[in-house]
Amino acid sequence: MLLEVRHLDCYYGQSQALKEINIEVEEGECICILGANGAGKSTLLKTIAGLMKPRRGEIWFTGKRMDELPAYTIVREGITLCPEDKKIFPQMSVYKNLCLGAWIHGRKEERIKANLEHVYELFPILKERSDQDAGTLSGGEQQMLVIGRSLMSNPRLLMLDEPSLGLAPMVVNSIFETIKEINARKTTVLLVEQNASMALKIATRGYVIESGRITMAGTAEELLKNEKVKKAYLGI
Amino acid sequence: MGILLQTLINGIMLGSVYAMVALGLTLIYGILNVPNFVHGTLYMIGAYIAYFAIVSFGAPYWVGLIVSLIILFAIGILLERIVFRPFYDKPLINSFIVAVGLILVLENTALSLWGPEFRQFAAPSDKVIKVMGVMITAQRIIVIVTAAVLIWLVHLFIKKTRLGSAIEATSQNPDGALLMGINISHMRGITFGIGTALAAVAAVLVGPILLIYPAMGHTVIGMAFVIIIIGGMGSFIGAVLGGYIIGILETLVTSYITNFFTEAIIFGLLVLLLAVRPTGLFGKPH
Ligand SMILES: Nc1ncnc2c1ncn2[C@@H]1O[C@H](COP(=O)(O)OP(=O)(O)O)[C@@H](O)[C@H]1O
Ligand SMILES: [Mg+2]
Repeated sequence: MLLEVRHLDCYYGQSQALKEINIEVEEGECICILGANGAGKSTLLKTIAGLMKPRRGEIWFTGKRMDELPAYTIVREGITLCPEDKKIFPQMSVYKNLCLGAWIHGRKEERIKANLEHVYELFPILKERSDQDAGTLSGGEQQMLVIGRSLMSNPRLLMLDEPSLGLAPMVVNSIFETIKEINARKTTVLLVEQNASMALKIATRGYVIESGRITMAGTAEELLKNEKVKKAYLGI
Repeated sequence: MGILLQTLINGIMLGSVYAMVALGLTLIYGILNVPNFVHGTLYMIGAYIAYFAIVSFGAPYWVGLIVSLIILFAIGILLERIVFRPFYDKPLINSFIVAVGLILVLENTALSLWGPEFRQFAAPSDKVIKVMGVMITAQRIIVIVTAAVLIWLVHLFIKKTRLGSAIEATSQNPDGALLMGINISHMRGITFGIGTALAAVAAVLVGPILLIYPAMGHTVIGMAFVIIIIGGMGSFIGAVLGGYIIGILETLVTSYITNFFTEAIIFGLLVLLLAVRPTGLFGKPH
């Protein structure tokens, strides 16, 4: 098992955002998490990434306990998050943003250069814009930067929080194509989406989260056929 | 003409001091989002440390400067860790109260240990250089050149080194930096150290020209806050340019208009500027 989330409870002050969450992810899978606005999807990813601490429960990754580690060490273990609000460094160049993504590689210049080539290959526009401040990019380009930056650390588990949010349909398609390609190259993906039809196209399995609880789990096909999912998330 | 040139050189010298102190303050503000009110007090401690190194231990001037720089760098790191770190997630008023308490403790300690009397240490060179009929002391040139070199080095450090990028990233988006695996507490500590060391060096540079006493940081810190507000809170270029502008302006006003209302005039300018540009000259609009 690559990632195991056990009985996770998370709170914002007094209000509980996650209740008894259990999730398992195998190496190489592409898992999607569906849920309405406010269901707790971002909270779950932020907790796995270490930005929030759970009140109860455990997170295990490659047999190691994660939830007790400080946030900045999680990425060293192989987990990266592309957050919903992007968290780019707006007054730094695209190139510097990408290099910061490889922070954990220290001074391994060769490796960083190879990763940079790979990212520029996936997103040629980032190469064109490499000297521009990240804050001047369009929404779609920023999303590409966020994904590119997270690949710079060679993650084993890539978590994406609503990468389609606010983007034009054309851009969404190409982002999803890229996610599929990243997954095909052996990076495990944990994808949070409200755009369920797109997510279930590339996912192998999925979970549905409602008001902080997992209410359904299954293969992508099962979820696509499920009446409740059809109604609530696919708009059919 | 001669007097104007003399005044301008004095203005650039004062501006060099302001620029360094304000740069330290703005770096710390940029990464901690805390106005560091203790900055002026640390400036004073920097001056005393050099004074004791030079006068009591007979160290050469430059050794005194470096000793003060290193000790204040370490004090900055310690202060961030012990005094400011516990309050990041708390309302600003907490760290404000802590800062005021710290100022009282440090300044009263200085007062009771070293007394209220004015002190001074000798400049490394008492040469006087004559340029276009104006006498310039070597120390003024030392202040101006050293400040410019140090400001340039800090700029290079932030823009060209790995550690510098991590510091910049932490000040632009701390959570983003955490996600990259950057230990943001370290970055805050290092930045606090650098900012404090800049204040110390500024104090040691003007030590032979101005006087050393426990309350010497008060006017400087007041001006430094005006400068970083004018320059835009957290802006590097704003603090440096603002420092030189205010230094020159203050000297011009004092020698040509009046030396009674200098601060009032400068504060007036600040209010005027903020009315037109609420984020300061180089501040980022929110
Ligand atoms: N910073 C916060 N402070 C307090 N409550 C929050 C915060 N962020 C999210 N919440 C609450 O936690 C719940 C889950 O939010 P979130 O994980 O962002 O949902 P989702 O990503 O599925 O839209 C929501 O009820 C939301 O209002
Ligand atoms: Mg969300």
